[in-house]
Amino acid sequence: MSDDISTIPDFSDLTCTNLMIRLKMLLKKAPEGSLVECIVRRDQRDTIDVPFSRTGYDVKIRKIDTNRFRVSLKKKNSREVS
Amino acid sequence: MSSHFFLFNESMNSERLGWVEQCLKFFFIKLHPENLLHSTKNRQAVFTLFLSGDALHSLHNPETLSLWEVILSLPCVTIVCDSQELALRGISVERLRMKNPDQVIIHNSLALNGRPSFWKDVMKLARQHEQPVPSLVGFLHLTSPYMNRSSAALLEGMNAALEIHASVDLYCYLDGVHVGHDGQKPTEFENIGEGLEAVFEKAAKRGLSCQMLACARCAAARGYSTWDDGKGTAISSCTIKPIKIRNLNEIIDQFRRNHIILSDNCASIQLKKEGMQATFSVLDRERSPPLTILITRHPYGTESAFGGLSLALAAAAHGVPTQVIFIEDGIYALTGTQIPDAGSPLFNMQEVIDAISGTDNLQLFCFTPSLQKRGMTKNQKLTGVLNISISEFGNLLFYSPNGVAANHQRVILF
Repeated sequence: MSDDISTIPDFSDLTCTNLMIRLKMLLKKAPEGSLVECIVRRDQRDTIDVPFSRTGYDVKIRKIDTNRFRVSLKKKNSREVS
Repeated sequence: MSSHFFLFNESMNSERLGWVEQCLKFFFIKLHPENLLHSTKNRQAVFTLFLSGDALHSLHNPETLSLWEVILSLPCVTIVCDSQELALRGISVERLRMKNPDQVIIHNSLALNGRPSFWKDVMKLARQHEQPVPSLVGFLHLTSPYMNRSSAALLEGMNAALEIHASVDLYCYLDGVHVGHDGQKPTEFENIGEGLEAVFEKAAKRGLSCQMLACARCAAARGYSTWDDGKGTAISSCTIKPIKIRNLNEIIDQFRRNHIILSDNCASIQLKKEGMQATFSVLDRERSPPLTILITRHPYGTESAFGGLSLALAAAAHGVPTQVIFIEDGIYALTGTQIPDAGSPLFNMQEVIDAISGTDNLQLFCFTPSLQKRGMTKNQKLTGVLNISISEFGNLLFYSPNGVAANHQRVILF
């Protein structure tokens, strides 16, 4: 995980539903075991955390500013899920 | 009495009426053949088809008239026409009425003002789904006023709900957010903004709840949101007072309650199982009615298909069992290989569909007769979208998904 956040897409303008769509699209395209990262707002963070954790993803969230969070998603491998 | 109903307001072509007819046949022949064995003369309606607006033209169009005759030959089917809209359009349904006088209703119940009200008839059926009274009726509105007469129908529907002492919710989505713009001054049309403010005041006077929520994404796109608190609440200086701009999640949260939600073109299918109460409290969130969204329009040309898909995903994320059926022109979202311009902010619908397939509480289907009618095939990469024929469509409509304890299923056409 890089500390340079300038390369991470900022999705803080997206609505929660569109954010979910965008992340699902990125995760679908991402190679096995790779990380998908983005910057989101506080309310968006809440809508990512539970749904993605529940459906087989490792979700890591780090606060980078008052209302900006860095989200990292990675698909758990099948052994971790089971 | 069972009370499945369809409500159609926009123009109905033979394709739409065709699948309605096929679904009804499936219901009576495959699921309830006992209804075919006896005289239907003294039975109450199992299916009510409410027709208003341009849908009424299908009653005298030769292409659809024959389908209506087949539908009316089925037992326990009633058509309730909006008498004012019939008169406005100069449509005669005498031919159908001559053959089926008890099944084609052209005289509506009287409202408190003494005038016939189609919406009073709709409300009578709509509120049978929950108890205790006073109940709640929701309206999902998708179209702009003045361009579409459906906004006038919305006002009539909300007023009719208040007349039967039901609280009302309005969910403005897509172009539906325009009904809440302030300063509307139509010269040849009922003022929708003022009408909504009057509904809000009338509800308050009667001690009924009335909330009007507009989708924040749709409002922002159309220039309404002037201040956003970043937590789902946006405040606009150009909406009428009753309208609250809220995140779609907050609107979808209302869908978890057990009330009827009406839209321009929608249906409500009862899901009563053996031993289950016929009615539940409107606040019973454990019994969220499953949601079926029919995507009937081309992708890209309008926001309709994407809007339907977004709503479905939001509902599924809130734990509402949701199924999306691509049907009629909606199947074009699944055909060919779609490639939006690389720099375009537009979502690639096929990528969206592929990405969201497999989401909890969400199932995606393609109605194959619509593909066949257009000589198209589904993109083979969309493996998460299951092909269905009319019998599977019927099963999806009339059987509740596993584990669902709701008493009805909401069907909304986009």
